[in-house]
Amino acid sequence: MDQPAAALVAEDIHKSFGLLAVLKGISMVAHDGDVISIIGSSGSGKSTFLRCVNFLETPDRGRIVVGGEEIRLKAGRNGRTMAADRAQIDRLRSRLGMVFQSFNLWSHMTVLHNVMEGPVHVLKLPKAEARDKALALLEDVGIAEKHDAYPAELSGGQQQRVAIARALCMDPQVLLFDEPTSALDPELVGEVLVVMRDLAEAGRTMIVVTHEMGFAREVSNETIFLHNGRVEEQAPPAELFGNPKSERCRQFLASSL
Amino acid sequence: MDWELIGESWPVLVAAIPETLVLAISSLAIGFVLAIGIAVLRLSDNRLAWAAAYGYVYVFRSTPLLVQIFLIYYGSGQFRPFFEDIGLWYFLRDPWFCAITALTLNTAAYASEIIRGGIQSVPWGQLEAARACGMSGLLLFRRIIFPIAIRQALPGYGNEIILMVKATSLASTITILEVTGEAKKIIAATWSPVEVFIIAGAIYLAINFAVTRIVQWAEVRLSPQLYRDRPSWFARLTGAGADTAGRSPAISDQLH
Repeated sequence: MDQPAAALVAEDIHKSFGLLAVLKGISMVAHDGDVISIIGSSGSGKSTFLRCVNFLETPDRGRIVVGGEEIRLKAGRNGRTMAADRAQIDRLRSRLGMVFQSFNLWSHMTVLHNVMEGPVHVLKLPKAEARDKALALLEDVGIAEKHDAYPAELSGGQQQRVAIARALCMDPQVLLFDEPTSALDPELVGEVLVVMRDLAEAGRTMIVVTHEMGFAREVSNETIFLHNGRVEEQAPPAELFGNPKSERCRQFLASSL
Repeated sequence: MDWELIGESWPVLVAAIPETLVLAISSLAIGFVLAIGIAVLRLSDNRLAWAAAYGYVYVFRSTPLLVQIFLIYYGSGQFRPFFEDIGLWYFLRDPWFCAITALTLNTAAYASEIIRGGIQSVPWGQLEAARACGMSGLLLFRRIIFPIAIRQALPGYGNEIILMVKATSLASTITILEVTGEAKKIIAATWSPVEVFIIAGAIYLAINFAVTRIVQWAEVRLSPQLYRDRPSWFARLTGAGADTAGRSPAISDQLH
């Protein structure tokens, strides 16, 4: 057992909103360097699952282990679980970079300060060091010249690239992408996918909820198809796209390709 | 119009401006800090905290400031032995203390509602982004929630500052000689209310002119993205001069 701990383990995640069971026991393991795409029709639970991973939604049941450290849970009101230790949640979240569908850059800060914020105030990195690192990352995502702009002054594609740099600046163990291109105009999708492809090639561990079948097929090394809150099919993309075993997955792929 | 009286009284009234400013600035400063706390309680899930803050705001917004001043200044005299026992009489017998207390409690109630509105307008996604990178509690409030909320609240809070500058005139009813107090003193001796109150009015006008400019400056300072190279709000509303003519950052221009 000298294998290093998996970057992220999610086990038997359940979540319901009111009477609606959205997740009915989803498990997933991401090792370092994995790029896992999660696909499925809307309402299948893919975004909710991703949000459960970093506890933006609290799963009703299940285990989450980040880099070998299990998130401690306790029974809360009405029998549901809740985080036992807020500080642990904060610490683990800082190791899981999250990129949102609607970018969610902080509107009162410039691009540079958006990227520096977490490293300086959460990780307590010295300002000068965080600044250099942020500028280098902005360079990587091709937006260094806009470092002094405010988010409102950028296009959607530019904002999403800043959001990716912001997530990267925390040196996360795993990057979570929640439909990162769904809010973008079609002609802006490409610039974000290029950045994500570079990250995958650089060996970043990524979990990507996406509708971009091309990305899922070409970039990821594992694809998970969710249906009605369950893992309907899981396979390397060549297999899942080339020869889907489940009927639902076949239908979904037929309708979205 | 008695020009001689005007000439004689304006230096007296101008000399009372510091008193007016001390009342306004100290109550606004303390009241603002209280207001943040009250706003947070108002948004809390704790029923008791919510009820306490709600009751406080309800009482202080729904009774006249003048009544509050009188209750604190004259009302405390009725319980003098009690306040002497707990060592507060030393403060409560001082009209300055009573005036600043009443003004502070009053502005805290109004400002807390303004700040609450600002906090509630913070976009949910920006909060989630902050949580997702490991922020919570005071850090989240200090770095994300409050800076965004205060930008939203600033125009409304500017109003509150102006109202408070004017409300300091009520302190004249409990023997304080700020601008209005001095004016009343001169009028009692000369029976010329028009001349003296015109000067007093002009002084409040001048103070509030400065206040509006400072608030405007703060708005531009805090939200440069709204004023930098964007059409003025008027141009955006009317659609007039959408390109070059409309791209006049009207407010920031005036400030440079």
